[in-house]
Amino acid sequence: MKLVMKFGGTSLADAECMCRCAALVKSRAGRDRVAVVASAMDGVTEELLALAEAAASGGHGVPDAHLAALRRRHEQAAQALGEPGLLAPLLDRLERLAEGIEAVAELTPRSRDAVLSFGERLSTALLHRALAGAGVASRAFTGQEAGLVTDGRFGDAEPLVELSLYQAAETLGPAIAAGETPVVTGFIAATQHGVVTTLGRGGSDYTATLVGAALKADEIWIWSDVDGLMSADPRIVSGARRLDRISFPEAVEMAQFGAKAMHPRALEPAAERGIPVRMKNTFNPEGQGTLIVNEAAPAPGEIARSIHLLRDTGLITVTGAAMIGRVGTAARLFQTLSEHGINIRMISQSVSEAAITVAVTGAQLEAARAALEVGLLRTGAARHVLVEEDVAIIAVVGSGLRGTPGVAARLFGAVARKRVNVIAIAQGSSELSVSFAVARAAGPEIVRALHEELIGA
Amino acid sequence: MKLLLVGYGVVGQALARLLEAERAALYARHAFSPSLVGVIDSRGAAADPRGLDVAALHEAKRSHGTVGALPIYGLGDLDPIELIVESEAQVLVEATPTSVAAPGPSIARLKAAFRSGKHAVCVNKGPLAVALPALLELARHNQVEFRFSGTVGGGTPMLNFAQECARGDHVTAVRAVLNGTTNFILWRMALEGETFHAALAEAMRLGYAERDPSADVDGIDTATKLVILANGVLRRACAIGDVSITGIRGVTREQVERARASRHVIKLVAEIDHGLSVAPREVPADSPLNVPANLNALSLELRTGGDVTLVGRGAGGPETATAVLRDLIDIWHSIGSTP
Repeated sequence: MKLVMKFGGTSLADAECMCRCAALVKSRAGRDRVAVVASAMDGVTEELLALAEAAASGGHGVPDAHLAALRRRHEQAAQALGEPGLLAPLLDRLERLAEGIEAVAELTPRSRDAVLSFGERLSTALLHRALAGAGVASRAFTGQEAGLVTDGRFGDAEPLVELSLYQAAETLGPAIAAGETPVVTGFIAATQHGVVTTLGRGGSDYTATLVGAALKADEIWIWSDVDGLMSADPRIVSGARRLDRISFPEAVEMAQFGAKAMHPRALEPAAERGIPVRMKNTFNPEGQGTLIVNEAAPAPGEIARSIHLLRDTGLITVTGAAMIGRVGTAARLFQTLSEHGINIRMISQSVSEAAITVAVTGAQLEAARAALEVGLLRTGAARHVLVEEDVAIIAVVGSGLRGTPGVAARLFGAVARKRVNVIAIAQGSSELSVSFAVARAAGPEIVRALHEELIGA
Repeated sequence: MKLLLVGYGVVGQALARLLEAERAALYARHAFSPSLVGVIDSRGAAADPRGLDVAALHEAKRSHGTVGALPIYGLGDLDPIELIVESEAQVLVEATPTSVAAPGPSIARLKAAFRSGKHAVCVNKGPLAVALPALLELARHNQVEFRFSGTVGGGTPMLNFAQECARGDHVTAVRAVLNGTTNFILWRMALEGETFHAALAEAMRLGYAERDPSADVDGIDTATKLVILANGVLRRACAIGDVSITGIRGVTREQVERARASRHVIKLVAEIDHGLSVAPREVPADSPLNVPANLNALSLELRTGGDVTLVGRGAGGPETATAVLRDLIDIWHSIGSTP
């Protein structure tokens, strides 16, 4: 079996964690062929970002504090792994880079990516050392060395997928065939001219699925500190259970919920080639985790896989007689919000066209209100911009929703029995999920009620 | 249009001669005046931004074995990748001999051309056999043209023909004879009752087969062309590893006889339907694929248009050079028409 194992930041938080990961690789490296992808150590990317920004804004000793923290953390780990000087060259290069940014007092997206890339380079060097300590013959690659090529959109670079897959197969394939375990830096790659880029959304998971696709892996294992995807947040629903097996489209629907879900972009290389992705917990390696596959038919009678809650949202409703039958109102609304960098979480408009409701995160609610007032009220395109704070959005996900008559009745029946008012509803035509808004305070209670009704206590 | 030519063997020299011979006609018909600003061969290079003199290039190659020996414009052993990136040429012509086993250097040159904003014409099948989707993607990313019509059918425009057929219709199956050498051998076996080895010897005597004929007789060359067809025309991303390949070494006189008895002939057939395969197969004697000597034939089954076939000579230096010229004119028109 050919496996790709990707370790997240919490799984690589310190030397002890690294050794645990190395042992996990070793346990498979004997019988299977394994390629490893490493994230930066937990919190390091944030620290690097702070370092870059402090350096660009003139320093005053702040960059030194960040550098010292980064040095301490990584040198401790190197020491614990028995090679104290391991990271000195990398850390020195990082320091020179920070000095350069401080000297020009400017942080471009390109130099930000250069700084961020050190997180994965450092962790990969440490994991490589830990693997050697565990007796696993391994070889370290940066994303660039592995052959991953992207466009030049720094901070959110798009891979040239065919080229990256071809080159990664050329570089990693022979290593694996020779019995070595390649360790690849997640998240980072390079342009065709060799300038370091970062993959942005999807990050290291994206690297893992690209490497998996290049090597035609049998499975891609995403290791983190959770047991897999859950049917609900266990802090809300005590009876929440681990999802054994879901489909790629369902995983895409769940991507917005929970920090450990995979970004749809990262799922794509695996989904297109039908390579199963398994999400596992390094702190509970015996657990089966969640398997994401092409086909995961719902069990007989199974309607929903999972119930999710977005606590901190607000609704904005735009109304006005002028909107009715007028072509382009919605376009203007979305245009206005996008110009202000506001992300729309949910959209709802009835066929009467008398009102459009959008949901945005609480933090962007006031900015959205201001933008729409200027963009729509002043121009007469709409009459009112109504804001509803303290709203929660509940999403019900599962392929069993599709084509099952009476699902909506059961779903909203359960909400009605709790005497809670549904403020807005949205359902995509894929029918893989239904989202609706309720008062924030009622959110957890409704999640519990729906879990009981649709999934089982 | 300024050209950088890599490979100064049979095809490269034929191209240089053809560009000279057609100079007036190309200008009259297409307002196209190509000039060779650089030539790289395996041992050296020559460059002149005003255009190199073809007669002098030939002389240097003939007497010293490399264009690097050209007086004044000859260059010692420079890194070809650097030369490609730095060159003021607008188009790279990759005319090195095909090597499926080691396509790396050729791929590196094409990548260097693309990333420095140059269009490319390639007649080396090696890079296309293993990395065509990647190269097409990289050319698209850099907004440059990538043409390789000389790789299939040589001078016979088989890829363009197939592309035209596929436009507005669906290619449901492809069956083709894509290798002249093996077709000649099988044709001789049927015509003269020769054994495989006798027919191969005759092919070598006539210069149809190379001294090491394995790429031809083992089906590798045919499979490579099939991969190019599948990627370039059917938009099916694949590489040579995806083709099931059987050569013609195992074809016996008895099999050829038996086929003849039922009015069939044995051909090395490249086929795309559900999968990709290259193997000796019996085809009816009246099939359009039953072409004599070293000819090639490409048959497409179209959902609406029915069966269509193109027959022509598949290889040869001058023939392949015309294919390169065709690609260059194409690029010339396409860059001329973009605002």
